[in-house]
Amino acid sequence: MPTEPGHEPSPGEAIPGAAGGRGLGRRLERRLAKTAVLAKREYLSRVKTKGFWIGILVLPLLMAALFVGPALMISQARTSLDVVLVDGTGRLGEGIRERLSEAQDGSGPEAELDVTVVAPEPAAEAHRTELDRRLVAEEIDAWAWLDPARLEAEDEVEYHARSVSNTIAQRRIERAISAELREARLTDAGYDPEEVVRLTRDVELRTLKVSAEGARAERGEAGFMLAYGIFFLLYIVLLIWGQQVLQGVLEEKSSRVVEVIVSAARPFDLMLGKLLGIGGAAFTQFAVWIACLVVLTAPGLAASLATMPGGLDLPRITAAQAAYITLFFVLGFFVYSSMYAAVGSAFNSLQEAQNLSTIPTFSIIAPMFFLFPVINDPGSTLAVVASLVPLLSPILMPLRIAVEVPPAWQIWAAILLTAGFVLFMVWLCARIYRVGILMYGKKPTIRELVRWIRYA
Amino acid sequence: MSVKTNLPCRSDGTGGVRAWEIPTVRHPSLPVSSPRVTAPTLELVGLRKAFGDFVAVDDVSLTVPAGTIFGLLGPNGAGKSTTIRMIMDIIAPDRGEIRLAGRPRTRADLERIGYLPEERGLYRKMTVLDHLAFLGELHGLSHRDARERSTRWLERMEIADRAERKVEELSKGLAQKVQIAGTLLHEPEVVILDEPFSGLDPINQSLFKDLLAEYKSEGRTILFSTHVMEQAEKLCDHICLISRGRAILVGELAEIKREQGGNAYRLRAEGDLGRVREVPGVAEAVVHDDDGTARLFLADGADGARVLAELVGFLAVHDFHSEEPELAEIFVKAVHDAH
Repeated sequence: MPTEPGHEPSPGEAIPGAAGGRGLGRRLERRLAKTAVLAKREYLSRVKTKGFWIGILVLPLLMAALFVGPALMISQARTSLDVVLVDGTGRLGEGIRERLSEAQDGSGPEAELDVTVVAPEPAAEAHRTELDRRLVAEEIDAWAWLDPARLEAEDEVEYHARSVSNTIAQRRIERAISAELREARLTDAGYDPEEVVRLTRDVELRTLKVSAEGARAERGEAGFMLAYGIFFLLYIVLLIWGQQVLQGVLEEKSSRVVEVIVSAARPFDLMLGKLLGIGGAAFTQFAVWIACLVVLTAPGLAASLATMPGGLDLPRITAAQAAYITLFFVLGFFVYSSMYAAVGSAFNSLQEAQNLSTIPTFSIIAPMFFLFPVINDPGSTLAVVASLVPLLSPILMPLRIAVEVPPAWQIWAAILLTAGFVLFMVWLCARIYRVGILMYGKKPTIRELVRWIRYA
Repeated sequence: MSVKTNLPCRSDGTGGVRAWEIPTVRHPSLPVSSPRVTAPTLELVGLRKAFGDFVAVDDVSLTVPAGTIFGLLGPNGAGKSTTIRMIMDIIAPDRGEIRLAGRPRTRADLERIGYLPEERGLYRKMTVLDHLAFLGELHGLSHRDARERSTRWLERMEIADRAERKVEELSKGLAQKVQIAGTLLHEPEVVILDEPFSGLDPINQSLFKDLLAEYKSEGRTILFSTHVMEQAEKLCDHICLISRGRAILVGELAEIKREQGGNAYRLRAEGDLGRVREVPGVAEAVVHDDDGTARLFLADGADGARVLAELVGFLAVHDFHSEEPELAEIFVKAVHDAH
C-alpha cells in the first residue's frame, strides 16, 4: 500500500524516507494494522446481523424451491395407473403388458402402468359400459380396446381415461402397442423381427465444424458464455452490495463518528478498510451461495453427466485460467464498488447521493459493448487495449483468456492496472472524503468536487 | 508563554524515539489509569486556516504545558473547533505547525491523543463493548487489551450491564458515557476535548470533571474548548481566549487574573452611581443600580486610592475593594481592546 498520495505533508508529518527504512516499514505496518481493524469492523458488523443471514438463505431456499419443488410435485404425481387392456387379438396383450412393465425402472417421472389384460366379452357394448362405469368409480384409471379390425383398417386403438392429459403414459402405451404389433406383423410376414431391426438401424451424423477459425469460433462461444456469466454475477453481486458500499461510506458521516475515526486513521485507510470489509462480506455471501448451488445441483448434475452420451463438449478451462478468472472477478468487484464509494464520499446523506448512484451501475455495462469485437478478433489492437482498461478488463480479460490465452504480460498488466485503479479510486475517495467531512449539510457541485480533489 | 514567529510549513522527519515515549509503568490491577505519566507539551505555532475568504484561524500560537489543563475559550464561531481539528489532522492548516514534545506532531502521535469532537457520534448498530474495543484497537491496542480495558471502563462508568446492548438502544446520557470511555480508553497522554460539557447531563458533567482532575493529577496534558467561562475558570490552569480566529489573550489563568485584576474594583455605595464613569482613572464601569454596587475597571496606571478619594466626594461609600475580575469580564475587555 502506498503512503496516501493525497495527503499533503501537514506540518506534523515526516517525509517518508527521511526517517529511514525502518520507520517507513513501521508506519506501513501500523497503517495496515489500522486498515485491518477497520475492515474487520465493516465485515463483522455485516456478518453479525440477522439480515445478512436471512439474505444469504433466501436465495438458496428459492433455488431449492425451484429445483426440489417440481421434483417433489412430480414424485407426488407419480402413482401407478391401473390400465385394463381389452385384447381383441388374443395374442398381443401379454407382450404389450410385458413391454410396459419392462420399462419401469422406478426412477424418472413416469407413472407406473399396471396393466391387466382381459379378453373382450361377447356383449361388447355392455363390456364398454361396464369399463366406463369402473373408470368413473375410480376402480381403474384407463382402459384400451385392441380391436383387430380397427387396427388393420384405421391403425387406431380406442383409449378411455378420466384424464387424457397424461401424454407421457399415453405415448408409452402407444409405443408398446405399435412395437408389439409391428413384431407380430413381421413374424406373420415371415421375417425375423430382430434381423429387421438390425437391418433398418439409423445412422448418425458425427458433426465436425471445419473453418479457418473454426476452433476459435467454438471457444468464442464458450468465452462469450463465460464473459456473460461473469458480467451477470458481478452485476447481481454489485446490485446487492454496491448500495452497501455507498451507504457504508456515508455511515461515519451520518452517525457523526467520523471525526474520531479520521483522527485515528487516515481517510485512505478508512476507505480501503471499508472496501475490503464490505467486499469480504459480499464474498462470504457469494461463497455460501456457490456452495449451496453445488450441493443442490451436484446429484442431478452427476446423474445427467453419467447418462449423457460421450463426447459432450464442456468448455474446458485449466486451473490457471480458473484462477485468473476468479482473480478478475474479485478485482471486478472492487473496481465497480469503488465507483459507489466515490459517490458516497462526496455526499453526506443517501438522499443526496441517490442521483449519482446510477453511474456505477452503468460503468459495469460498458464492457458489454466490447464483447463481440473482442470475440471476433481477440488479438486485435482494440481487444488488447480495451482489455487493459481497468473499467473494462474485469470482464474483457477473462473473455480473452477463455478464447485465446493472451501473453502473460498482458494478463498481469491488466491485473496490476486494475489493482492500481482500485487504489487510485480509494485515494480519490479519501481525498474527496477528507474535504467533504466538514461540509455538513452542503451538497457539493462538480466544480467544487474537482477543487476538493486538487486542493484537499 | 513563548511567542513564536510564523514558520513556514516544516516537514522535518522524526526518526528516532520521541522524547515523551518513555515507557511508563502501568499497574494492571488499577482499574483504568496509571499513576504517573510523562506527558508531552503541545505547541501551536502560527496556525492559520482560511476557508475561501473567511479566515477561521489567524496566526494562533500557544503552548499547552505538560500535565496541565488548558482552556481554549471563545464564543461560538471563534475558531476553536477549527484549531482543534487541525491539531487532530482532520483538516490541514494553511500555515503554521503543531508540535508535540518539541517535535512536529506526526500521524502516529495521534494514537496517543484522546479526542472528543464537538459532533458526538457512535456506530449505532454496534454493541457497546464491541464499539469500545474497536476504538481501542484503532488507537493501537491489541485485540485482547482493547477488550479488557473496555470491560474495565464499562465497570467504571457503571454501565457494565449494557455491554452487549446496541448503541442505538442507549439513552443519550449512557451514549455520552460510552463516548467518554472511548476517548480515554487507550490512556492517552494528551486529551483534547471540543466543548466537552455541552450536551452532557449534570451527572456526566461532574463525572467528567472528576476524570479530568484525575487525569491531570496523573500528569496528562488536557486541552479543551468551551464558550462557558465559568467552567474554564474552575478547571483551567492556562487559557487562550480566541475571538474571530485570533488568540487575543494567552497565558496562565492565575497570572492573567492577577494582571487584569490589579485594575478591577468592587464598589458599594449610595448616591448617583452613574457618575462613577466620569471619575478620572476609571476606564469602564458596570453599574448595578438595584443593589447599589458597581464594578470599576481602572485605566492602566490609575491608582485605586486616588479614585476612591474622588468617589467619596459624591457618594456615600460603604465598600471599595480590589477584586479579581471574572473570566467573562476579562474576555469582554480583551475582545474590546483587541478589535
